[in-house]
Amino acid sequence: MIVEIHDLRLVLGGQPVLNGVDLTMRAGDIYGFLGPNGAGKSTTISVLAGLRPPASGKVEVLGRDPVAERAWIHRRIGVLSEQSGFYEWMGAAEYLKWFSGLSGKRIEEAEAALRLRRVGLDGRNRAPIGTYSRGMKQRLGLARALLNDPELLILDEPTNGLDPRGRREIHDVLLEMSVNDGVGILLCTHLLDDVDRLCTHLGILSRGKTAMEGPVADLLAGQRAARYRLRVPAPESAANLPAGIRVASMSGEWWHVELSGAGDPAAAWRELLDSGLRVEEIHQEGGGLEELYLAATETREAV
Amino acid sequence: MNPVWWIARKESGEILVSGRGLAWLFALSLVMSVLSLLLVSNTELSLLDNAQVVYMVMGTITALGALFAVVLGADAVAGERERGSLMPLLLTSVTPSEIVSGKMGGQAAGWTVMYLLGLPYLWAVGSSGQNLLQAIAYLALFGTLTVLGFGFFALGLSARFRSVRTALLTSLIAWMLLASPLLLGPGLRQSAVGKWFDAVNPFSASLNAFDSVVIDSQPFAVQAGRLAVALAWLVLTAWYAMRSVRKLEL
Repeated sequence: MIVEIHDLRLVLGGQPVLNGVDLTMRAGDIYGFLGPNGAGKSTTISVLAGLRPPASGKVEVLGRDPVAERAWIHRRIGVLSEQSGFYEWMGAAEYLKWFSGLSGKRIEEAEAALRLRRVGLDGRNRAPIGTYSRGMKQRLGLARALLNDPELLILDEPTNGLDPRGRREIHDVLLEMSVNDGVGILLCTHLLDDVDRLCTHLGILSRGKTAMEGPVADLLAGQRAARYRLRVPAPESAANLPAGIRVASMSGEWWHVELSGAGDPAAAWRELLDSGLRVEEIHQEGGGLEELYLAATETREAV
Repeated sequence: MNPVWWIARKESGEILVSGRGLAWLFALSLVMSVLSLLLVSNTELSLLDNAQVVYMVMGTITALGALFAVVLGADAVAGERERGSLMPLLLTSVTPSEIVSGKMGGQAAGWTVMYLLGLPYLWAVGSSGQNLLQAIAYLALFGTLTVLGFGFFALGLSARFRSVRTALLTSLIAWMLLASPLLLGPGLRQSAVGKWFDAVNPFSASLNAFDSVVIDSQPFAVQAGRLAVALAWLVLTAWYAMRSVRKLEL
């Protein structure tokens, strides 16, 4: 395991901020860390980085205690934090060269240019960072997080401020690192599209507690009820639908139905068609990550 | 390379390259130019003697150097925290103590620049007098102790306060309070409170040393007590800045 958190609790200013966070990552995992604003994601990251000692619970990063062995861990992880400032009077290449001196792997101009090109920041290496757009600063922040060739990369909203092409480029960089180099990536984001495209594992935090955690495929398969939209052109009765398919509402020739249970949707559709109902189109509605997220956070809100 | 040196190098670069650093140096040069012009005119008209003018320029360089150090120090940590650049530093393998030590190195670089900037003015008003070399040496010694002390004090406050404004205002109040000997007349300084204040105030120690050497031509041995006060101020503020390191988490 490269990250192991069990029942992490943290109190700040007398208020419990984290009350039972669980998170497990292996090398090569891309872990989507989701949750509403203020759920405790950034605070969990600060604990992982050894910047805040936990009140209780088990926290291990690369097999070590992040508070006791902070410097050792910082040499092996890369972090792009939510608040990620720069020295705006420096050029990007100069900044990377300077920062590399602090991270213990000093690089020269050519290497800095190469690393900037990798994150799609090319051609303006000498311009002051103060003249960069938000997206360019985000790319520079990623280049900074990658400076020490980390075993674990922690990214807080890495695609904030990027256009769709920029997001896709960053996705490709992260996928390449995960697949080719076995780098574990903890991705803190609100963008479910990022999670959908990148993540192998998912953890949803709500009010400082892990509400849901596991491999994305398992969590999606375990959804209790998925919603679908069927087009049934001829007037039909919904009375004789197979068990497990329930009509939630009808609108003209569109039926909104729910599949209940953890059964195979393909088998349900086969049974539906065998029943003689003429169905011309089937679309999934909602479902997937969004439903998971809402279900996990709503459950906690109701507690 | 040593991270303390690495951070100090960046801090020095910021003073000499960034718009903010250059603007401060320009403003300080402007003040020194106006003051020197007035003092040279006074000397030409025989309203002030040469030693008196050199003494005043030394005091002004020390006071302005301390003001510059306070501004740099107040911004050093709280400013980085506000601009979001502190977090990346804390996420390197560099320890908070090394970060603060590097910032102290930046303070030293700032004072060096200010001192070098002041030398031509000192020469302009003092080249025709007798004690110019002593003035340059004593400004280096007492000026360094006093100015860096103010910088370290502001740095400590900057690590403790979350906002630059609070750190800067508090440091400026301390600067104005201690620099008041520059403004108080000789009469007030002879009162009981004035004498006590003179005995513990690093600014007073420096000014009295400048007065003693440049105007009264007294030897170094006479300055031991004053040197002790200025040195104690530097040690105390350095200790305070390093103690503030534990506040440098997030």
